[in-house]
Amino acid sequence: MIPDFDQQGKAQTKEWAPEVSAPAILLENVSKGYGRIFALSNITLALNGGVTGVLGMNGAGKSTLFNILMGKLKVSQGSVKLFGTDPWKNPAPYARVGFVPEHEKMYDWMTGHGFVSTFARLNGLTRDEAKIEADRVLNFVSLEDVAHKKIGQYSKGMRQRVKIAHALVNDPELIILDEPLQGCDPLARTTIMNVIRELGRMGRTVLVSSHILQEIERITEQIVILHQGRLLALGNLHAIRERRDQIPHRISIQAENPKALAKNVIDIDEVFGISFPDGKNLSIQTHNLGAIHSQLPRIIVDNNHKITTIDNPDDDLASILGYLTSGGRV
Amino acid sequence: MTPSEENQLDVQPAVAQPDGFAAEAPVTGKGRLEAAWGSTEGDEDLSIATPTSAKSDGQIFKQQYKTWNGELNPRWMRNWAILRHHLLGIFKKGHRPWGVPIRLYLLVVFIASMSDVGMTLVSGLIGDSGLHSVWGVSRDNLYGHVLGFFPRNMLYYPVVAALLVGGVISEDRQHGTSALYFSRPITRFDYVAMKFISVAMIQGLLILITLGLYYFAEILTMGRGWSWIIDTLPMFLATVFSAVLLIFTYTSIGLSLSSVSKGKFFPGIALLSIILGTKVLAFIVSNLFDREILYLISPYDCLAHVGQAIIGTQPTYDQYSWTWSLASLVAMNAVALYVLSTRVSSMEVTRE
Repeated sequence: MIPDFDQQGKAQTKEWAPEVSAPAILLENVSKGYGRIFALSNITLALNGGVTGVLGMNGAGKSTLFNILMGKLKVSQGSVKLFGTDPWKNPAPYARVGFVPEHEKMYDWMTGHGFVSTFARLNGLTRDEAKIEADRVLNFVSLEDVAHKKIGQYSKGMRQRVKIAHALVNDPELIILDEPLQGCDPLARTTIMNVIRELGRMGRTVLVSSHILQEIERITEQIVILHQGRLLALGNLHAIRERRDQIPHRISIQAENPKALAKNVIDIDEVFGISFPDGKNLSIQTHNLGAIHSQLPRIIVDNNHKITTIDNPDDDLASILGYLTSGGRV
Repeated sequence: MTPSEENQLDVQPAVAQPDGFAAEAPVTGKGRLEAAWGSTEGDEDLSIATPTSAKSDGQIFKQQYKTWNGELNPRWMRNWAILRHHLLGIFKKGHRPWGVPIRLYLLVVFIASMSDVGMTLVSGLIGDSGLHSVWGVSRDNLYGHVLGFFPRNMLYYPVVAALLVGGVISEDRQHGTSALYFSRPITRFDYVAMKFISVAMIQGLLILITLGLYYFAEILTMGRGWSWIIDTLPMFLATVFSAVLLIFTYTSIGLSLSSVSKGKFFPGIALLSIILGTKVLAFIVSNLFDREILYLISPYDCLAHVGQAIIGTQPTYDQYSWTWSLASLVAMNAVALYVLSTRVSSMEVTRE
């Protein structure tokens, strides 16, 4: 057992200055292994500004990636830099970072306000500053009404929001949220999504993970897809989808009269198959999802169809992963 | 921000949210279905699930983020926040939650440690010189206040140290709250140093404060003057030094044990085993074989030996020099601090 001399003593945030040209996050050939198993393998990534969704199934390496970024895990290979500084060696960049962990271990005996102001003080705010800033961020996440109740009495959505508030209290440039929508009710999810979008609009670098594509889709179109610890795709979600449009898709429509609807949509050139899984549903097969979706509204309105739901069952993370891992074939 | 009329939206189906995916927004998140069907921001399931009644089931607030233009204060401010979080938890809620049994035991030990203060006051009040000769400030009594084995170093101070170090790092590891610290601009050195100082300060409250009160009670009740103070100050300061050495040793051994374990049971029991177990072992060997050398592996005996030497009481360890005990203490503390620093500097937090 040898001391880790890589740790460098002082986190003097006043003396530390970020590299002007450095991105908020820079990973170069990062690997993290646990014994013979690699949770992350050779990840190279640079992110700066806007919201980026990190997608991956359970065990893809999302939390490991975030733990490495937050200095909780040491990389086995490669280098990690936040604003140009290795956070494992010098935690000073965390003055500009806010982190919302996936699993909550919160101080249930504290009030939401107390919790946020305590961690504000750990960032170096004075007592008075911490109280003012705690009010600011609790208002931002719409928790001002319950700010002085104990966290133990909060609902899951409130707990998520107070975690977001504690991550924002130092007004960070980089915000990392690990599965922030997990277990939240629709109202809390909407509020949290609004918070994330607003931060992205402000030009902050926001990294948010999820294993549900639709969640990320509502927040951002810039995505990173991890699969079995490897970086599978990086870029615009639509661009990835457009590539996938060349392979067959299904559109499932629940309608009052699916056969009448089928009669109208069969004339669309891009439709190459139609089926009726049951009496209420119509399933359309197409190579061009976008073209169908652009024509469907007019057909429905012109012919006065009554529609209950429209769904793209192939348009989820699992199918995109299947497409990407099969080298473009499904 | 208090939600006002204009920035709160009643949840209604298919109501266009004006700022949801505005064209000027850098991040739109506009999906294909949304583009085609004109649905807008937020959770569409929500609007489907909500009835179209005049009564709203909830409110979605428009978030308006206000930036903070302040400046983060220096390192000592963050360290002070950690320290006060631990220290104030002893006295009031809203800080680190030391358990009720721990706080009760600290109170009991504080009162028990004041026994010599009380007896000194009583002897002064009733003017009993016999009582004062037993309880008043003397070289032996000063030594006994800090380093006496029974009851202080058998029932009080090691148990207090064990209770304090029990969860101070290991519970952070177990619950992952260390991750909350490490996601701040706080070095691991600062983190562990503040933990060390907070545990040491609580012990200091019991040992050093009561020692000071004992000395002050003697001055107060017996009307001691400057000459007495000047005469006795060196042995008082030597006792203070012995107490600091004791607190430092118990804390460093205890925290090193806390850093290698998860949960508070092992560090506490292990610390008591080391302090009392080695003492018992050395005592048995000394009695059976008339060899005192094993006292060198006992933290308490080394502290007592060094304390006897610097306070100037009659030594009870006479087979070897006190400097051996001092060297042994230095070695023990070095090993403990090495383990502590190694563990904390390389600590990987795998759960939050």
